[in-house]
Amino acid sequence: MKLFLCRFEQVAAIVRKDFLIGLRRRATFAAMMMFALTAVASLSLSTGGIFVEEKFLAALFWVVIFFAAGAGVAGTFDDEAQAGTLPTLKLYADAQAILFGKMIYVFLSLVALTIFILPIFLILFDVAVKNFFLLLATIFFGLIGIAAAGTLTAALTASATVKGGLFPILLFPITLPIFLPAISLTETSFAGGAFDSSSLIVVAAFDLILITAASILYDYL
Amino acid sequence: MIVFDDVSLSFGRREIFKNISLELRGGKIIGIVGANGAGKSTFLKLAGKIIRPDEGSVTFPPEKKIAAVAPEMKIYDGLTAQENLFFFAKLRGKTLSAEKIFELGGRVGLDLKNFGNVRAENFSTGMRQRLKFAILLSVDANIWLLDEPTANLDDDGREKFFNEIQAAKSDKIILLATNDTAEENFCDEIISLPL
Repeated sequence: MKLFLCRFEQVAAIVRKDFLIGLRRRATFAAMMMFALTAVASLSLSTGGIFVEEKFLAALFWVVIFFAAGAGVAGTFDDEAQAGTLPTLKLYADAQAILFGKMIYVFLSLVALTIFILPIFLILFDVAVKNFFLLLATIFFGLIGIAAAGTLTAALTASATVKGGLFPILLFPITLPIFLPAISLTETSFAGGAFDSSSLIVVAAFDLILITAASILYDYL
Repeated sequence: MIVFDDVSLSFGRREIFKNISLELRGGKIIGIVGANGAGKSTFLKLAGKIIRPDEGSVTFPPEKKIAAVAPEMKIYDGLTAQENLFFFAKLRGKTLSAEKIFELGGRVGLDLKNFGNVRAENFSTGMRQRLKFAILLSVDANIWLLDEPTANLDDDGREKFFNEIQAAKSDKIILLATNDTAEENFCDEIISLPL
């Protein structure tokens, strides 16, 4: 893995810098949180009192995460490109450190988003989680995959003229192999019962493939 | 030493460089001059491997560490002056103390004791240029690429800049692209690019 060839302190500096700027500007975090909150609240109100199957709830949860992530992740590279700081960053930092710094920042942002929206989702849809460990493991591996795919897609679309529309179109097929088993595992965590450990392995393996592919492809961008 | 070996570069149909071969040695300030559009900034980008030639090659010293001051190399508006300095130095493996940051500020004429915690977005153009200059001095580098580096600097800023690069040139390859006569006169060697 090239991650181990780039300097860890560069990665840490980029993560810290992105959080400082992200928290000061707030727009990205606010967009992600507000999208997730609006989607969950409106869907909860429209299905109020009706029994909703666990499978549907699991899919709904990941759809909210996907689109809320899209509202924030797309700007990871585009904001730098627009501000003119990307050439400076590329001059002073290794390419791999930039990629992994951004990827870790995106992952931590998605973790913050999930910490915010998951309790609201569970309360509003009256979900009693039967297997909380499975839910956490699924979210953990699912978010790694979205962060890896989202960071690479953001890097790819940073120089495109119609990046707003292009980002979700490119991101969806890349993340589909993560979503399908993640939805299945989330359903099991909501409904209880034995879970298929191979699904969790598939998500983790696809994370690894995405991270490796991103690491190889980023050098050519 | 940076070696251009038979380098050619075109943007679309426009040929910028054709079969250029030259050696750029350290220990002196090399001025890159020419009319607007002659390719001064492009020459710096080739010398910094920021872009690659269509043909030929550019080779570098074994330990290539580049720092630059150029109009398109922006600093982070959302970070304070101190945070910008700390961040870029950290990318090159250096941790700057508060004292070191104040000292760097003094060398470029930027009062970082009072303005260190002010975000760069609130700086004037000249103060930003001084901050870029402080970043240049703070990072570990053996190649400096300077594109119109004293633009937007007042006389005091220019004097400080010239003194610093004069003091630093012994162990660096310094390329300075300019249209400014004062900057040009300051160089030890001139490479003139035809339009």
